[in-house]
Amino acid sequence: MARVVIFGSLRAFTNGEGEMEIDAQTTRELLRKLATLHPALAETIEAGVSLAIDGEVFKEAWFTPISAESEVVVMPLMVGG
Amino acid sequence: MKQDFKILGTRPIRPDGLDKVTGKAMFGSDKSVTGMLHARILRSPHAHAEIVSIDTSKAEALAGVKAVITGDDFADVENRWARYTMQNCMAQGRALYDGHAVAAVAAISKTVAAEALKLIEVEYKILPHVTDVDEAMAPGAPVLHEGVKARKLGDDVSGNTVGYYSFGHGDIEAGFANAELVIDRTFKTAAVHQGYIEPHGCLADLGGDGRGELWCSTQGHYMVREVCSEILGIDSSQLRVTASEIGGGFGGKTTVFIEPVALKLSQKAGKPVKLVMSREEVFRASGPTMSASMDIKIGMTKAGKITGAHAKLRYQGGAFPYQMVMMGAMSAFAAYDLEHVQAEGWDVMTNRPKMISYRAPGAPMAVYAVESVMDELCQKLELDPIDTRLMNAAREGTKSSYGPTFKAIGLVEALEAAKAHPHYSAPLAPNTGRGVSCGFWFNFGGQVSVSMAINADGTVNLIEGNPDIGGSRASISMMAAEALGIEYDRIRTIVGDTASVGFSDVTDGSRVTFAVGIATINAANAAIKEMCKRAAKIWEIDAEAVEWVDGAAQPSGHNAGNFPPMSLAEIAATSGKTGGPIAGHHEGAPDKAGVSFGVHMVDVEVDPETGFTSIKRYTAFQDVGKAIHPAYVEGQIQGGAVQGIGWALNEEYIYGEDGLLQNPGFLDYRIPVASDLPMIDAVIIEVPNPGHPYGVRGCGETAIVPPLAAVSNGVAQAIGVRMFELPMSPPKILKAL
Amino acid sequence: MRYVVAKDSREAVALLNTGENARLLAGGTDVLVQMKLGNKAPSLLVDIKAIIGFSDISAENGGFRIGAAVSGAEMGEHAGLKAMWPGVVEAVELIGSTQVQGRATMVGNLCNGSPAADAVPAMLAAGAVARIEGPSGTRDMQVADLLEGPGKTKLGKAELISSVYLPARPERSGDAYLRFIPRTEMDIAVASAGVNLVLDENGCVLEATVALGAVAPTAVMVPNAGAALVGSPLEEQALEACAAACEAACNPIDDKRGTVEFRTKIAGVMATRAAKIAYTRAGGQL
Repeated sequence: MARVVIFGSLRAFTNGEGEMEIDAQTTRELLRKLATLHPALAETIEAGVSLAIDGEVFKEAWFTPISAESEVVVMPLMVGG
Repeated sequence: MKQDFKILGTRPIRPDGLDKVTGKAMFGSDKSVTGMLHARILRSPHAHAEIVSIDTSKAEALAGVKAVITGDDFADVENRWARYTMQNCMAQGRALYDGHAVAAVAAISKTVAAEALKLIEVEYKILPHVTDVDEAMAPGAPVLHEGVKARKLGDDVSGNTVGYYSFGHGDIEAGFANAELVIDRTFKTAAVHQGYIEPHGCLADLGGDGRGELWCSTQGHYMVREVCSEILGIDSSQLRVTASEIGGGFGGKTTVFIEPVALKLSQKAGKPVKLVMSREEVFRASGPTMSASMDIKIGMTKAGKITGAHAKLRYQGGAFPYQMVMMGAMSAFAAYDLEHVQAEGWDVMTNRPKMISYRAPGAPMAVYAVESVMDELCQKLELDPIDTRLMNAAREGTKSSYGPTFKAIGLVEALEAAKAHPHYSAPLAPNTGRGVSCGFWFNFGGQVSVSMAINADGTVNLIEGNPDIGGSRASISMMAAEALGIEYDRIRTIVGDTASVGFSDVTDGSRVTFAVGIATINAANAAIKEMCKRAAKIWEIDAEAVEWVDGAAQPSGHNAGNFPPMSLAEIAATSGKTGGPIAGHHEGAPDKAGVSFGVHMVDVEVDPETGFTSIKRYTAFQDVGKAIHPAYVEGQIQGGAVQGIGWALNEEYIYGEDGLLQNPGFLDYRIPVASDLPMIDAVIIEVPNPGHPYGVRGCGETAIVPPLAAVSNGVAQAIGVRMFELPMSPPKILKAL
Repeated sequence: MRYVVAKDSREAVALLNTGENARLLAGGTDVLVQMKLGNKAPSLLVDIKAIIGFSDISAENGGFRIGAAVSGAEMGEHAGLKAMWPGVVEAVELIGSTQVQGRATMVGNLCNGSPAADAVPAMLAAGAVARIEGPSGTRDMQVADLLEGPGKTKLGKAELISSVYLPARPERSGDAYLRFIPRTEMDIAVASAGVNLVLDENGCVLEATVALGAVAPTAVMVPNAGAALVGSPLEEQALEACAAACEAACNPIDDKRGTVEFRTKIAGVMATRAAKIAYTRAGGQL
């Protein structure tokens, strides 16, 4: 069960829940389960999110493997200059 | 990770240099074709107005006018972000800011087009406007668009508030309770423009058969293709976009401002259309960055340990919904290892041009405010500014203020290098102060495509899909040379058009050297694999028994066979007979772009009689992972520092009570000139990024983050008064004295 | 639009007198920019660069006559002129970039009528005299008497300035020009000052002329500021009085380039700093 951290303002869509355990092998599976668990997050996930898996930031990478010990931080999608 | 390099770290001649210094390079406005028309855009003279009617009949009747368009010529698009982009290129129903496009003309000459603009009659009904972020956010402010207020926000903020973000952990109130000194300050920064020398320019040809060609100055021609084909309602395969050489972008060319207009005019006129913005149009109608109003509260122990930190950031980003304050909130406290931290941000709309990225978008202003309070704490507690930052510095294993736990990062190394540098201990002259600031940027990966062909003469052509805005052709050629084991000058890298190589994300987020670099190394490895196979065939041994060493195939051991190494050139020479052309390509979306930290140190002298600030000495330290081409890296660091100095001292969008921009030109929008600056001393620090085979981190953006506070902190020391507003122009400083 | 290269000043004056919307072209660094921006659309452009004498710097009665088409760069390279009127030359050399310096003229800077024109306060302080050609012949006029308001001079219909004369000067004299801009070049004065001094044998100021730019509708002479310096070896008290007189003479506008308060304060600072430079150039020891 990967530990999923919902950050800051996104918590408004998880009824204030900041951390949860989700059983997922990939980021795609994790995001699907997260959207089912918290439907209010679905719109944000659909629009795109960045994920930090054990400190490394991923952008929309569906098939990135997640281990049971992983910490996954869900963040809004970022752009640069 | 590879450590010993033959090519990386050298400084070969840049491949685009000769063309640029001789004037041969083709920029956005340099392309012309037979029979092309010239376009001009009519822009709103009001900050906010309903477009009651537009009569274009007189303009259409003028001899030489071939097409006139208004917002009515554009069909609605489904995706709301694409719709905002379209409505920013051409107003529909309402003009939302001074300079907003309301109509456009294509004619046989620029003179006729300009004449035709005067014949377009627009009836406006003036609406209330708002340009200040705090006023726009207050309840009762004129709202730019209904129904786009951020979810879950209350009535204490207006409908212009389109985004709210919060990051952090711990309990900030508990943190402040543990402090021995808490400082709470409010800061303001002005909107600034990227200030690229080349205005937006394009040549569009969209024929009746639905096939289009577009030449333009952009940071991402695939982005241009996707956005324009969606707005024009054509298949992306039918629109080929070629990126010209680019005269600066800095984030400002990561969207479109004129291309859909030129394409629509071309479609209507049935002829190619050239459209080039004037400098005034660039200022009034292309995207500057956000202005900001910010509250920063930091608590510290007498020993210098930060106990709690809170930021409230309010950014205005112009006339359409946008999402940018988030990265300010994420960056604000990124440099520090904090137990109790919260950073909140609000994105707000105003009657100003739609913002677009500017180098580390959102970060410089937030970090300016935080690093100013850090400096004031150090000053009041009589602490050394670098030692205090070192005591609190984020390092490997730190849980960052925005969520992830840092991998290997180079902030401590940068701070230690700054502390040990002779600049830090040099004596200060009268009226002079020394400021220090940290800075941070995330850096991104993203989608890339690279195609590499090994030619029969042993040379290599490489096509990639990201416009070269900071030396990427050189660094990509260097990485290809390193991977293949051949000389740098055997390789030519070009930026392909949208029909020549696969999709590539926009050149942003300091991502190209990192992401295209990985794709290049993978493409080289694919070509190497094929070359080993060819050698194996010639030697009649197993392909697995061949390895690639120093640019040549060789049997992997005595058992594999006894043959002299066969070089890339030798294998390439016979490729026609051994199975045809040899190539390598890679398409992917690399992640794990390592974050980059920098520390800047500046000595400023303030003239007590005039308030004029001059930069006397400037040293910038930055972790870049691995500097592929150090001269380009130094250039990036110097460029970022200079843009930050301009932001700190003189650059600003000035609006009058009427909501009109008062300084749309380089005369009164003051970017620094060469004589304003000393040589910026760039100190490269290399803490390899574990996410890249050569250790590369992006380096283009971090350098604009620290200068704002570094300069402000220097001014505070020089004059004994702290400024809380940027720019610190001479009248403001003299008034403070 | 017609473009005509005038052969002599009579032809130029005749062309200006045709009733067409005519503009003169010397360096063109103002008129061409205004045309490009769409602020001016003349129907006739009269180029005066080919008129004999207009491109000359010539010695005359111990002073120098500077033709209307002489560029800033040419003035900067003229050793004799630079030695005699270093303040005027440094003022002209501040206009625009190196490229603009190759075209821009001092007379054009005067005729453009900007209150912030760099050359004008220096010319006022120097007592420069303009030579005017017009339908009724040739006349000379003090530059100070030519100024009218923003974008305006007192030149009559179809008149043009063919040259400016900088007079001879006594021993122990020096001039200087300083302007304040928020950066170090490529900018327009927020406030500026030209100072011209003649010293006596003891290093006291015998004569002083002070003129300010960008603090009133035209560049202005400030007789009280000059009077404050006369008789002094430029000690602090005299400089303070000079600065105060300058501040009193200021009638600036509040705009994006500077507030009333800022321009007023800076005008005095520029004048006293320019006075010190002029004093040193005149051989005085500070």
